[in-house]
Amino acid sequence: MVKFTAEELRKIMDLKHNIRNMSVIAHVDHGKSTLTDSLVAAAGIIAQEVAGDVRMTDTRQDEAERGITIKSTGISLYYEMSDESLKNFKGERVGNEYLINLIDSPGHVDFSSEVTAALRITDGALVVVDCVEGVCVQTETVLRQALGERIRPVLTVNKMDRCFLELQVDGEEAYQTFQRVIENANVIMATYEDPLLGDVQVYPDKGTVAFSAGLHGWAFTLTNFAKMYAAKFGVDESKMMERLWGENYFDPATKKWSTKSTGSATCKRGFVQFCYEPIKQIINTCMNDQKDKLWPMLQKLGVVMKSDEKDLMGKALMKRVMQTWLPASSALLEMMIFHLPSPAKAQRYRVENLYEGPLDDMYANAIRNCDPDGPLMLYVSKMIPASDKGRFFAFGRVFSGRVCTGLKVRIMGPNYVPGQKKDLYVKSVQRTVIWMGKKQESVEDVPCGNTVAMVGLDQFITKNATLTNEKEVDAHPIRAMKFSVSPVVRVAVQCKVASDLPKLVEGLKRLAKSDPMVVCTIEESGEHIVAGAGELHLEICLKDLQEDFMGGAEIIVSDPVVSFRETVLEKSCRTVMSKSPNKHNRLYMEARPLEDGLAEAIDDGRIGPRDDPKVRSKILSEEFGWDKDLAKKIWCFGPETTGPNMVVDMCKGVQYLNEIKDSVVAGFQWASKEGALAEENMRAICFEVCDVVLHADAIHRGGGQIIPTARRVIYASQLTAKPRLLEPVYLVEIQAPEQALGGIYGVLNQKRGHVFEEMQRPGTPLYNIKAYLPVIESFGFSSTLRAATSGQAFPQCVFDHWDMMSSDPLEPGSQAGQLVSDIRKRKGLKEQMTPLPEYEDKL
Amino acid sequence: MDFESKYEISSTVDFIRGRTFTRVALQFPDELLKDSPLVAKALRSELGKAVRLYVMADAAYGSCCVDEIGASHVDAECVVHYGHACMSRTSTLPAKFVFGKASIDVKDCAKSLSHCLSSFNKPIMVLYGLEYAHALVNLKAEVAESLLSSHSNSSLKISYAEVVGTVIYPSVDHLTEKAQVSSQYDSLTKTRITVGGDEREIKSGTYYGLGGLSWNIPTGHKIEDYLLFWIGPENTAFTNIMLTFNNCKIIRYDADKKCLLEHLSNQTRILRRRYYLVEKAKDANIVGILVGTLGVAGYLHIIEQMKELIKSAGKKSYTLVMGRPNPAKLANFPECDIFVSVSCAQTALLDSKDFLAPVITPFEAVLAFTRGRQWTGEYVVNFQDLIASIGSEVNEGTEEARFSFIKGGYVEDIKPQENDKEEEGSLALAAATDKALSLQNQDPTSILFKRNATSGTMFFAARTYQGLNMQYENPAPQSYVIGRSGRAAGYLDEERKAEDLPGAVE
Repeated sequence: MVKFTAEELRKIMDLKHNIRNMSVIAHVDHGKSTLTDSLVAAAGIIAQEVAGDVRMTDTRQDEAERGITIKSTGISLYYEMSDESLKNFKGERVGNEYLINLIDSPGHVDFSSEVTAALRITDGALVVVDCVEGVCVQTETVLRQALGERIRPVLTVNKMDRCFLELQVDGEEAYQTFQRVIENANVIMATYEDPLLGDVQVYPDKGTVAFSAGLHGWAFTLTNFAKMYAAKFGVDESKMMERLWGENYFDPATKKWSTKSTGSATCKRGFVQFCYEPIKQIINTCMNDQKDKLWPMLQKLGVVMKSDEKDLMGKALMKRVMQTWLPASSALLEMMIFHLPSPAKAQRYRVENLYEGPLDDMYANAIRNCDPDGPLMLYVSKMIPASDKGRFFAFGRVFSGRVCTGLKVRIMGPNYVPGQKKDLYVKSVQRTVIWMGKKQESVEDVPCGNTVAMVGLDQFITKNATLTNEKEVDAHPIRAMKFSVSPVVRVAVQCKVASDLPKLVEGLKRLAKSDPMVVCTIEESGEHIVAGAGELHLEICLKDLQEDFMGGAEIIVSDPVVSFRETVLEKSCRTVMSKSPNKHNRLYMEARPLEDGLAEAIDDGRIGPRDDPKVRSKILSEEFGWDKDLAKKIWCFGPETTGPNMVVDMCKGVQYLNEIKDSVVAGFQWASKEGALAEENMRAICFEVCDVVLHADAIHRGGGQIIPTARRVIYASQLTAKPRLLEPVYLVEIQAPEQALGGIYGVLNQKRGHVFEEMQRPGTPLYNIKAYLPVIESFGFSSTLRAATSGQAFPQCVFDHWDMMSSDPLEPGSQAGQLVSDIRKRKGLKEQMTPLPEYEDKL
Repeated sequence: MDFESKYEISSTVDFIRGRTFTRVALQFPDELLKDSPLVAKALRSELGKAVRLYVMADAAYGSCCVDEIGASHVDAECVVHYGHACMSRTSTLPAKFVFGKASIDVKDCAKSLSHCLSSFNKPIMVLYGLEYAHALVNLKAEVAESLLSSHSNSSLKISYAEVVGTVIYPSVDHLTEKAQVSSQYDSLTKTRITVGGDEREIKSGTYYGLGGLSWNIPTGHKIEDYLLFWIGPENTAFTNIMLTFNNCKIIRYDADKKCLLEHLSNQTRILRRRYYLVEKAKDANIVGILVGTLGVAGYLHIIEQMKELIKSAGKKSYTLVMGRPNPAKLANFPECDIFVSVSCAQTALLDSKDFLAPVITPFEAVLAFTRGRQWTGEYVVNFQDLIASIGSEVNEGTEEARFSFIKGGYVEDIKPQENDKEEEGSLALAAATDKALSLQNQDPTSILFKRNATSGTMFFAARTYQGLNMQYENPAPQSYVIGRSGRAAGYLDEERKAEDLPGAVE
């Protein structure tokens, strides 16, 4: 631990070249938090006045109980490099002092929104991979996310201690495992070719890969060993590094290097010979308490032990020795300082990702140059509950300028549109705060390149916002974060005592702020809905809601509710017609399913209302086989004007058609939001306006006549086109040993899931299973699976796609029909669907 | 049932004779219209030629209200209202109400009532649809008898609500103090007309009145302690009771089916739905005020108050008179995000999936448009009761932005004061340039279909079709021409031709 006063810490924050903002990302249980703890123990900054040993990553109680991280936590580290180790450093620097702002993020997929928020405010990422389990699904997800944000990664192969103690693998085998892990990671990284970011792949021989044992607090990079041996062999350090990895073999008998194994028993790979074996030897000596052998060896390595440490035995001795020899903090911190970019360096290329406005205006330039004297550009990435009940710190990163106490800032919310007053506030920052361990310290100001927490803005920011100076009216906001998960699991909450309603409302408001992903809304039926990324996420949110945000007032939580979509299977069996209330106007329509992949293209924004019609028609005709002219006749998308349904004009020579377009579109927006089956959103339906008959007087074909009629005819055409329900489906990844497979298959079958990939992880007894599982069946899936496999299988579920339910919802008693009536009941609608004749009129 | 007694011919005759009205309007709801000739005939035979009777039907608003406008077309001096009534105060004409007499099995009803008394162990307040008022005397006797015979414990009581009277006189001015008004009524008619939902302390306890019924609760008791026993069908009058007394247990006795029904789930469902509508209204930018009555006392006043309320909430309001709202009429105003219906208590609760925008009551509007006000569970269905309470609300100075549960985040409300106030000092120039020119890059579809418009003009400008093209190619005014004159049956220039033609219709 490093003891600092706020002033001292504040001083380093000015040195923008000596700051590293980085996050630790990994799959769940790969040892992020343990590794972080060992870094904090060595280099964590705590306030001068705090005496004794204070645990910095003092987590929430539920985190400790479950053994997982739920919220991302930020910690500042201080590290002073020696002149000697910096002599190879090419980048800009001021002095040898470094400030590392590290964010430890959760690994469970349900909380990956926390990772997204962490990545936004950092420039580099330490990717932690378990050396035995290798690159897992969540490693891949977060890595992709990081690269998407132009975050430069470095890798650490963690849990090395398992190789030595648990698995007792020999050097060559271990090397192959490590090599595979690194390769797998590089495969993912290689797909992100980015000229500005350069090569993002990691190489042990370049020092961008570390080998660590978080639990025992030691780690090394090849740099450590290269330094050690360079003098001995009398070669250059970088030359030595190359020899310590890859196809380089050394035979101590002949004292010769070769690029192929000579086959002699003493000829071993450089890595094995010089890194793996010595560590193994030390560990074995310690574990066997052969102290007489140990001390000379340590002396040779230049490791000095304190006298009281010499009395330690077995594992404790081994830990102490390894920590002294290869301290995790210095290996990892040096790797970060050397290979991760400073804010000044990173913002030069990240500005394109970050800034929404023109890239040549003064704000873009200020971000690009990380200019402390430029206009303030600050992104608030999350809200952190303060000890003061009900209040929140706005936590974020200063990209340019500086933020100070009392500064009047312009808050641009997520819906802000430049030039308008929507979602825009001007308020004062009451206090700027930095964290020193658990303690918050007020500081006068915080310059760009650093993270900061602000007091007094929480009543205007829900989750994210861009802050700038009061007068900077031309500034565009910083781009909103894109999350990899979406809130698909919903529950309705209500208070047990009706008079607690204001408490519930206030609690939900706070809950919405406290988590980047959770969404608190209200249903048409008046129920309050909390939506989260998964079952676990929701469970944590509801616990927070009740205990922290509502002061323990009791709430009633409904069973999880899954939203469905309504679609059609075929083209309408006939052209349907509806008459307006005054019977003077007639609309003729047909519904048909959208082509495969088109709804997804609309979801992804590849096709949308704001496209250039030419581009849109090109995509539609080339990829989806649309007629070129037809592609120009799309009237609108919906619901919410951007959804994956559309209205296409197929009429020929209809008079006044332009007059009723707005009304038909309004009717469509309405109908596509509440489909005819169960008032769920529609999906992947194309409505074709076939013919229109209108009254000759404008007054008789106004919105009042057309809007309700358009809605009715859309329902009629939906019902005549074999309507179907779509249910959301998770992609489930499970990693388990062979003997657990039977149990996994059993549970999946029982839950309507199906496995589409089963693969053995090379070099391990573990199997990787990928399966699809309907979201509605996923509640309680984790616990059932754990029970069925005696705790050996741990699933990760991510929403993947919508799947059509084959049964006919119009047929009473069918599975889909039952679902429809359940949904209608829940929504307080008539249990029977409105029959087709109510919507369709006859001539 | 006997026609005479069903339509209360003799008491109606007494009412008309007693006040020497000479022009009387008889207002029938649609379902009773078929009896109107008989009723008129019966009345005429009693009253003679001196009194002119007019039959009115198809009221422009709800048939439960007195159609004063219709009556004034024939210069009627009073209205006799038949059928289901909401008993809202009238503004110009006196009215006599004939509720009709629905059939009821008094014995069965009494049995259910005593069953409730024994099973719920709560005092009971009996409320009923006005059409069952005639059976009240019999019911009381029957219940008393059955209680005596069953020797049940007498600590629990059954109380009955009373009909406040069958005659309503127009209020002089609803803003004059209520006490004065009511004392005036007392001296005039000996029956007190009360307003629904009104609650005031009188000697013996708390006084309640709703939808033509009134009852007292002795001091020391709360209405929540009572079991409300409603006799009648599930109609708007019952819904009003449910909403107003949403803390009470309510049991309904259906006289037609002779069964007891609990409506708990229904009650919470309606309340929740109304709560949702309030949340929805908070997000609205443009509010349409639907004038749903032209008779209920104080309607002009509440419309003005609504306008002010909406304005102070930074929203735009438009007042619309459209008679009874239906989907087609409401959809003629797609720019309105929400409608506030000012009407009598029983027609105000409109909730239909067919409406393009939801319709809320003035009370809900007050909840939605007053910042910092939260729904505490109380519910006021009658707008007269609101009139007094609105003014006293002080706008709390909470600085917090408004959290919208529809959108799931903070939203910024347009603050009307900001536009009026000149920004001072260093920012004046910046603010001025900000206003001077702004890029109109907002997507018209988001204005049209995502309810982003803040005024009718903005909505209109975004429409793809704006009516006939107003931009003349030649801006110079055209010379005027003399048009036709005369009647459509034959204009002046046509008449001459008609004369020329032999055999034209004379």
